Amino acid sequence: MGLIENIKEYQHNFAGNSNREKAYLSFLNKGFPTTKNEEWKFSSLKKIISHDFTIEEKGLKLSKEEIDHYSLNFKHQILFINGTLTSKPNINGVRINKYVDDSPIFNSAFSALNAACSNIGYEINVDPNTIIEEPIEILFLTKNSSNNFIQYRNKIVIGENAQIKIVEGIKNLSDKYCFTNMHTNIKLDKSSNIEFNKLQNNTDSQITIDETNLTQEKNSNSTVNTLLFGGMFTRNNLNFAQNGERCESNMNGVVILDENEFGDNHTYMDHKNANCESNELYKGIYLGKSKGVFNGKIMVQPDAQKINAFQANNNLLISDNASINSKPQLEIYADDVKCSHGCTIGQLDENALFYMNTRGIRKEDARAILTFAFASEALEKISINKIQDLAKKLIAEKLKVDLSF
Amino acid sequence: MLDKKNNMLKIDNLKAGIEGLEILKGINLSVKKGEVHAIMGPNGSGKSTLSSVIAGNDNYEVNSGSITFEDEDLLDLDPDQRAHRGVFLSFQYPVEIPGISVSNFIKAAITEKRKVLGLEPITAKDLLGKMKEKMDLLDMQKGYLSRNMNEGFSGGEKKRNEIFQMAMLEPKLAILDETDSGLDIDALRVVANGVNKLKNSENATIVITHYQRLLDYIIPDYVHVLHNGRIVKSGGKELAHELEKKGYDWITKEADKKWG
Repeated sequence: MGLIENIKEYQHNFAGNSNREKAYLSFLNKGFPTTKNEEWKFSSLKKIISHDFTIEEKGLKLSKEEIDHYSLNFKHQILFINGTLTSKPNINGVRINKYVDDSPIFNSAFSALNAACSNIGYEINVDPNTIIEEPIEILFLTKNSSNNFIQYRNKIVIGENAQIKIVEGIKNLSDKYCFTNMHTNIKLDKSSNIEFNKLQNNTDSQITIDETNLTQEKNSNSTVNTLLFGGMFTRNNLNFAQNGERCESNMNGVVILDENEFGDNHTYMDHKNANCESNELYKGIYLGKSKGVFNGKIMVQPDAQKINAFQANNNLLISDNASINSKPQLEIYADDVKCSHGCTIGQLDENALFYMNTRGIRKEDARAILTFAFASEALEKISINKIQDLAKKLIAEKLKVDLSF
Repeated sequence: MLDKKNNMLKIDNLKAGIEGLEILKGINLSVKKGEVHAIMGPNGSGKSTLSSVIAGNDNYEVNSGSITFEDEDLLDLDPDQRAHRGVFLSFQYPVEIPGISVSNFIKAAITEKRKVLGLEPITAKDLLGKMKEKMDLLDMQKGYLSRNMNEGFSGGEKKRNEIFQMAMLEPKLAILDETDSGLDIDALRVVANGVNKLKNSENATIVITHYQRLLDYIIPDYVHVLHNGRIVKSGGKELAHELEKKGYDWITKEADKKWG
């Protein structure tokens, strides 16, 4: 069959719900994107969607050890196991619930599909003036007996002057494919602040399509750190809209992929208002036969005067068989703005490697140290030490060296 | 017999080049521990090729001959293994390495060397103590350690950083490739003073230089003149003074007559 037929068979599950049916028709009309679609030019789903998937498989039981193994052990934890919300923290000023989106908004095939058939998700409401220092860890664990297609739809609303930090992780514990279509909307009220860390150290049986939309009211500050360290296929769509003045939006990404892994980061920064700022820094490291895509679009609307937008995408191709397609896109309709962007693709500096070598540092370690140094600029932006340390450990693992950076 | 035992470095009829071009055309050189050798010569004579080949730069091909270091064939070893045996090259053009601080770089180098030699890892406290001591020796500011390796360093700072690494790694054989270039007279004095203080009866130094200036501060036991890929004259420290007065021509002309 294939995924599209699997979805058609699933349709009766939401028949009668007009919002969902509308979304479903929109999805059918669009179909899964192909490489003819400019936004998917280098990201082929063809092979993936030719497989059979069970939609929201019930899944296999996870042992406590398995859960503990993948937990990052933060004090506050929202845990989904096989699509069921199994635990959530009690935090003063924060309300966490299961979420069903009654009036979904969608603009792409995947967001329409998500709007049509997602039944799983969380909603976090942070009361105004609530400052939560300790990060909230959100973990999605699945263990399935067949290929599983699972969709989450989440919402975070941060009240005026409130602040939170999130760490999000997806883990597929089986060697069957898990195809996750994740959709998260984040609303930041005036002067609020979020740091959202996406930890994507996925296995080669995990397929992820992620859409994260942030809308910001004036004086708000958002940071999304994406650590894409593995996974068969990962497509991140990260969208920011600044609805008020003096907003700040930050995106930091570190991508390190090996073997046949594929990772695609599409970002969209919508500067709609004056006196705002955006900073975007993505570092990509590609080993083996891995492939990367970066597409960073910055839109500066006519009212967005005196904004400052910075974008950089730097890539290292460690292997001759790895590749990266990088595309910065700037559309500027205001005349008094500061925009800069830069994209580089290169190899490790042979002179630097020899230099380190003559100081007694082995070639493998010299490569790893230089590679880590390359990524460190983006890693340093993460405020949670535990995540920084974990990222360092995972990078060393990925580079197959026994080093502490 | 005794002579062989004391030879730290022995280069025998070394021929080497780059991209098919032969630059070293038969180098012979013996260095014993405790000695300081100066290798002088005009530009293009092969001085930097010689230091690169000793350090193990694989851009250069060795066509024939041998380099023996403490009775071991050096040419069989990778650059890092040569470093672990105690060979150190102070680069003419030290490489900038963004993203790695001087202290982390040195920590990585020392950690690896100790691991290979089967020694206990150095404690953070001991390492810092040693760094401070060596920085004082070279009159370096404290801020050095947290700066990225050679990034944005002035010429003088880079050279000082080379000698700092040498002081930290305590090599048996140090090769200083044009360490004086880019140094003003004060920096030259500090760097030379550092090198002299690190000198002892167990280690050896090869100073590669175009000018005699550095040899006023680092007094060599032997001076060799390299010309067109060969050592064409060797002598004591007075040879350097003679070169300073008379230039290289009188030696190179004679050599050209001999080798053409």
